Amino acid sequence: MVTTAPAPKSDLMNVTEKNVEPSDKHVIAHVDNNPNPISAEDAVIEIDDVSFSYDGGKTNVLNNISFNIPAGKVTALIGPSGCGKSTLLRCLNRMNDLVDTSEVTNGQIRIMGQDINANEVDPIELRKQVGMVFQKYNPFPKSIYDNVAYGLRVQGIKSKSKLDEAVEKSLQRAALWKEVKDRLNSSALGLSGGQQQRLCIARTIAVSPKIVLMDEPCSALDPIATARIEELIAELQDEFTIVIVTHNMQQATRVSDRTAFFYLGRLIEYDDTTTIFGNPSVSQTEDYVSGRFG
Amino acid sequence: MRSEHPNHILSSFDSELDQLRIDVIQMGNLVLRAFESSMKGLFEQDLGPCNDVIAEDDIIDQKEKLIDANGMSILLRYSPVASDFRAAVSSLSISRSLERIGDHAVNISKGSRKIIKHGKFPEVKLVVPLCEATHDLLNKALSAYANSDSNLAMEVIDGDDRVDKLHNKLSKGLTTMAASGNGDVESLLHLLFISRFLERIGDLAANIGEDVVFISSAGDIRHT
Repeated sequence: MVTTAPAPKSDLMNVTEKNVEPSDKHVIAHVDNNPNPISAEDAVIEIDDVSFSYDGGKTNVLNNISFNIPAGKVTALIGPSGCGKSTLLRCLNRMNDLVDTSEVTNGQIRIMGQDINANEVDPIELRKQVGMVFQKYNPFPKSIYDNVAYGLRVQGIKSKSKLDEAVEKSLQRAALWKEVKDRLNSSALGLSGGQQQRLCIARTIAVSPKIVLMDEPCSALDPIATARIEELIAELQDEFTIVIVTHNMQQATRVSDRTAFFYLGRLIEYDDTTTIFGNPSVSQTEDYVSGRFG
Repeated sequence: MRSEHPNHILSSFDSELDQLRIDVIQMGNLVLRAFESSMKGLFEQDLGPCNDVIAEDDIIDQKEKLIDANGMSILLRYSPVASDFRAAVSSLSISRSLERIGDHAVNISKGSRKIIKHGKFPEVKLVVPLCEATHDLLNKALSAYANSDSNLAMEVIDGDDRVDKLHNKLSKGLTTMAASGNGDVESLLHLLFISRFLERIGDLAANIGEDVVFISSAGDIRHT
């Protein structure tokens, strides 16, 4: 009755064999990169066939990007350096307008249905709706209070009571109020790095944007400060749509609902975060998230 | 699945995942050998193989601990995702199933020793069809893992029904024989237990099959 056991020797040899492929084999595959799309009704941002160039249209750094970002969710943009994820993020509030030769060479970005590159759109007004938090925390060399109140004052709010209320609310939403409430008039530059970044988030949300863009907001922070920002992102999700660029794969898995993977200026795959990191459809995505290239 | 992908940038990640897989395959072979020895002891009425299985179970237990430690180390240090994550987690699950199969081989050997000490008992031959079906299932489950063969794994899962039916048929037959006083009742009861252990080994082989499917496709087909 005893049959032959599985041939262990050959099996063991098989498992030690390496299927070596050079990284340049990561060519762009034409597969369905958005198998579970977000409908236009559920989207707050619609990115429709967008190409973008920094050199007056000679070379595109983004190529025909199309996907919708859902409202009230956290969407992570991931990919190796130079893939275009930060460029795309900066397209969403026209921060790239500050670069003279940059332009969207194709397609449309619509936020709440409005083409944000239309002539009638004022980029300053756009940025009130689409706030941004940068990689390196950048508080103004002013007091903690003045940092948070800055955007509101620019909007013309002068009432002390209204400013007081808004500053407290913003600092509370940024989980910083308890730590700074007794030194609101102290310089913001005296805060720790993590506190300065949370102050920048408070400054961003003080003007009640609909969308908050975050460009590697934790890359300069220690693990505890990072955890506080991640907790904050989870709390802010109830009120804001958040789009975050991160190089930290674990951070993307922890904080985001949807993840878009970019490579060489193209969208390779966009899906639920659990799918992107659990069972992605495109092998390039799996190779990147599992640390096989990048 | 892994062969479809290039190596990790971190070569130690590759080598530790490879080693984990090798350890599981080696543990599978140890368990298969224990199972075969337990059957040899029963059918040949030979205490030697039975004693060997009982004595060598500790090697299987230690292998499980090694796989647990290395698998957890991989999860802790490399935070694997996608197919790497499934490979690491499933290795832990498969080693647990293998350890329990090893325990059942010990249980069978202990039952066989009691039967042997009670004297000649030709009724052991009644277990042969169930034993062959179970052995085939376990063999295929291990091959499916070693070769990342999800089709073979599905065969194992489907084949468990046959083992269950053979066990039920044998149980009824042995119970009837014991009730009628036809044969050595004590040895018949031990044989009944052995039938039950074989049925459990079939279930555990099917669990390994489910793990193999999970590794290759991320599909959880348990209880479906």
